Amino acid sequence: MRGVHFGLAGLILAVILIAVFEYKPALEDFDPVRHAEFKDTWNQRVHIAYWEKWGSFEADGCQAMCDAFNRGQNEIFVHYIRTSEVDRKSMLASIGHDPPDVAGLWNTSVATFADGGALMPLEGLMAKSGLTRDYYIDNYLKMGEFDGHVYALPTAVMTLALFYNKEHFRAKAAELRAAGLDPDRAPRTLDELDRYADVLNVFAADGSPDIMGFLPAEPDWYPYVWGYYFGGKLIDPDTGKITTDDPANIRAYTWAKKYAEKYGREKVLKFRSGFGTFDSPFNAFIEGKVSMEVQGVWFPLFIRRHRPTMEFGVVPFPSADGVPGPRALMEMDVMGIPRGCKHPKEAWQFVEWVQKTGLVILSRLQGKNMAIRKPPPWFYEGHPNLELKVFEDLAVAPESFIVPNSLVGLEYRDEMKRAFDHIWTWPVDREKAAELQGLTGKERQARIEELCREEVAKTLKAIRVEFQAKLDQRLERRHLQPEGDR
Amino acid sequence: MANLRRHLSGYSFIAPWLVALVLFIGFPFLAGLYFSFCDYPPLKTPVFIGLDNYAELVGDVKFHHSMGVTLLYASAAIPLGVLLAITLAMLLNARVRGQSLYRVIFYIPHLVPTVVVALLWMWIFNPEYGLLNIVLARLFQAADGWTGIFVSLAAAAERQNFFEWPAALLVIAPVLAAISIGPWVPAGLRARPSLHRFMAFAAIVLVVAGSLALVNAALTYADPFDMRKLHAPGWLTDADTVPSFLPYGPSMALWALILMSLWSVGQMAIIYLAKLQDVPGELYEAADIDGANWAQKTWHITIPMISPVILFNVVMAIIGTFQVFAEPYIMTAGGPEDKTRFVAMFVYDNAFLYQRVGYASAVAWVLFIMIVVLTLLAFRLSQKRVYYAGR
Repeated sequence: MRGVHFGLAGLILAVILIAVFEYKPALEDFDPVRHAEFKDTWNQRVHIAYWEKWGSFEADGCQAMCDAFNRGQNEIFVHYIRTSEVDRKSMLASIGHDPPDVAGLWNTSVATFADGGALMPLEGLMAKSGLTRDYYIDNYLKMGEFDGHVYALPTAVMTLALFYNKEHFRAKAAELRAAGLDPDRAPRTLDELDRYADVLNVFAADGSPDIMGFLPAEPDWYPYVWGYYFGGKLIDPDTGKITTDDPANIRAYTWAKKYAEKYGREKVLKFRSGFGTFDSPFNAFIEGKVSMEVQGVWFPLFIRRHRPTMEFGVVPFPSADGVPGPRALMEMDVMGIPRGCKHPKEAWQFVEWVQKTGLVILSRLQGKNMAIRKPPPWFYEGHPNLELKVFEDLAVAPESFIVPNSLVGLEYRDEMKRAFDHIWTWPVDREKAAELQGLTGKERQARIEELCREEVAKTLKAIRVEFQAKLDQRLERRHLQPEGDR
Repeated sequence: MANLRRHLSGYSFIAPWLVALVLFIGFPFLAGLYFSFCDYPPLKTPVFIGLDNYAELVGDVKFHHSMGVTLLYASAAIPLGVLLAITLAMLLNARVRGQSLYRVIFYIPHLVPTVVVALLWMWIFNPEYGLLNIVLARLFQAADGWTGIFVSLAAAAERQNFFEWPAALLVIAPVLAAISIGPWVPAGLRARPSLHRFMAFAAIVLVVAGSLALVNAALTYADPFDMRKLHAPGWLTDADTVPSFLPYGPSMALWALILMSLWSVGQMAIIYLAKLQDVPGELYEAADIDGANWAQKTWHITIPMISPVILFNVVMAIIGTFQVFAEPYIMTAGGPEDKTRFVAMFVYDNAFLYQRVGYASAVAWVLFIMIVVLTLLAFRLSQKRVYYAGR
C-alpha cells in the first residue's frame, strides 16, 4: 500500500514540476527551415505572439509581412499564429489574463473589446510615432475607434463593388440591345440592374433557373448593406439610435424580395442551395451560375485562381434613383494590443512597423487596397489585382459608408441576416392566400408587392424596437459597472 | 487506524477524478448559478442584478423559439431513435449468419467524429448533387408512374408519359414474385431453400415497394404541396414547416437534422442487443407452448424484459438532445430563419458572441432544471412499466 501512496505522490509532484518549470521554446520547436535564418539572434530576441486569421494565399501574405519584420531587426521575433475564430479566442485569452501580444480582430468586435477594457488605447502611441489621422482614409480609421479613442488600427481592408460576367453579357448581346441596354458596359442605375438581370436570366424547360442575372442573396455575407444603396442607415451616426425601419431600408428590402418572388421563390431557393463554396471553382459567379454579384476587393484573385480565363468587369454597385453615388460598404480587419499582454512595448513596435511598411506587403500579396491615403509607388508595381483602381476610388468616395461601431453591433448584424432570410423566404402566396384570391396578372403582382412591403416593414420595425431596447439596456448597465470597468 | 488508512487509500485513488470534478465541473456549475444573477460581459466584473436575467428570458421570443426547436427535435428524434435501435437489435438478435459483422457495421457510424459526420451529411443533403435527393428522385420517378395511374390517369396521359418502366416493374414484379413462392411452386424447387428464400425476400421487397407507391398515391392526393416538396427537398436551406398544415411542426431543415440523428443509432442498438441476449429462452418456450405469436411475444416478453435499458436510453437521449450543438452549428449555423437554432446554440451565442455570460448562465440553469424535471418525469411515468428482474 505504501508503494501506491509513493506512486500517487510522485505523480502529483511530476505534474507540479512540469507546470512550474515551463519549457522555453527552442529554435527546433518551430519550423527549422523557416526559422534557420534567425538562428544566431533567436535567443536575444523578445518573442511576441500575433494571433491572426487567414487561410490560403492570404495567410502566405500575412506570413510574408511577419517575416519581413523579423528580418528587418534583431530585437523582436513575431510569431504569426493562424487562429480561427480569433475574436472568441482572443476574448477568452483576455479573460484568462493570458492574451496574445497582438490580436487580429474584425472591426465589428472593436466596440465589445474596447468596452470591456480588453484593448489598449493607441492614440498616445500613434502621436509619438507620427501616425496622424491624415495618414489614413478617414472611414478606415473610424472603424477602429470607440468612445472617442483609437483601439485598433487597420490591416486588410475591403470595399464592395459589382462584379459582372462579360461572357454572359456578350452571349446575350442581341437581347440586351433589343431591351435598350448596352452589352458592353455594366448597369449604372438600380433600375438598369433589374433590366439587365431580367435579360441575362436563363431558365430550363420546367422554369427553374440555369443562370440568374442577379441574386441579392448571393453571397449572403452582407444582408445589411442594401438599405444604404437606397439612402438608408442601420444606425444613425450622430445619435447612435437604431434606424432599421428607416423608409429607405423598407424600400431596399422590398426590392430584394422582388427577386425571390419574380422568378418563383421555391425554384430560386433550390437553385441557390446548389451553389458551391466561395473558394472553389463551384463558386456561383466563377462557375457562371450568376451573371452579376456584389463582392469585395479580394474577389479578382479568387476568380483568377479558379478560372484564369474568365472575362469579368468590376464597377461600383448602382444606387437607387436620387441617392448620390458612387458608394460602397467599407469594412476591415484590424490589429489591436490586448491589455495585460506580456510585451506591450514590442507589440507596439510591430504594429507601428505594420502601419508604416508592413501593410504594403500584406495588401499587395492579398490583392487588396490600403487603408492609408498615399500608398508608396512600389505598392502599385506589379500589384496582382488588376481591378484595384475601382476599389481605391470607392474607398475615398464621399458617399461610401461604414456601419458605426456599437455595443450591440455583432448581434444586430446577425439579426439583420435572419431578417433578410425571413424576408427572402417568406411565402406570401401561402401566408396571404385569402388576400390574393381572385386577383390575376398585374393586379395580383401589385398586391403581392404591397403585402411584401408590409411584411418587410413589420420585420424591420420589430428589429428596431428590440435592438434599441437592448442598446439602452447595455448603456444603462454600463453605469452599474465599477468605475475602472466602464 | 487501519480503517483510516484504508479510507485514505481509497480516496487517494479517486482523488485525481475528484479534484477534476470539483475544479472543472463543480466550480463552473456553481459559478454559473452566481453569474445567472449578474450582468456579466466577460471582459468586465460581474455585477449583481437579481432576477433580471430570469425575468428577461420569460419574455424573450428568441429563447422561446430555440426551446421550441429543441423540444420539437427531442419529440421526433428520441422516439424514432429508440424505435429504430430496438428494431435493429431485434434483427441482430435473430440467429443470422455474420451477426458480429453486422454488429460492427452498425456500430462504426458512432465512431466517426461529429464534425466529419456533419460535413458528410451536408453533402448528402445537397439539394442539387446530394445522394439523398438523387435516390428520392429515382424513387419518386417510379412511384409517380403508379400514382399517375391511381390518381390522375388523364394527367399522366397528357404528359405522354403514361408507361413508365419503373412503375411497370412495381406492378408486375410483386405478382411474379408472389407466383414464385405460392403453394403451386413445384416440389423440386421447394427443395432448394436458398432459391426459395431469395424469391420470398424479393417478393417482400417488391410488395413493400408497391405499398409505398400506394401510400405515395394517397398522400399526393391528400397533400400535393408537401409531396411536391418531398420530390426534391431543399433540406438544410428550407425553413418551411413539414407537413405544412401543422402550425408549429418541424421545418424541413430540422427534419434533416432529425434524420441525421439516426446515423449513430447503432450504438443504442448494441446496448439493446446485449440486454436482448440476456432474456431467458425459457420465457419464449413457455409462450410458444401457450401458442403466443411473434407480436405477443415481443409485447409481453421482449419489451418488458429490456424496459430498464429503454428507460436508460431514453433518459440519456433526453439529456443528449438538450445539448445538441455541433451538428447545427456546422451545418446550418442556426438557419434558415433560426429554424435550427437549438437552445445550446442560443447559450453559446449569448455567452461567446454577444458577451452576455450572465444571461447565458440563466438560460443554462433553466435548461438544467428542465432536464432534471424531464428525467424525473421519465422515471415516474415508467415506474409501473419498467421491469427490474429480482425486485
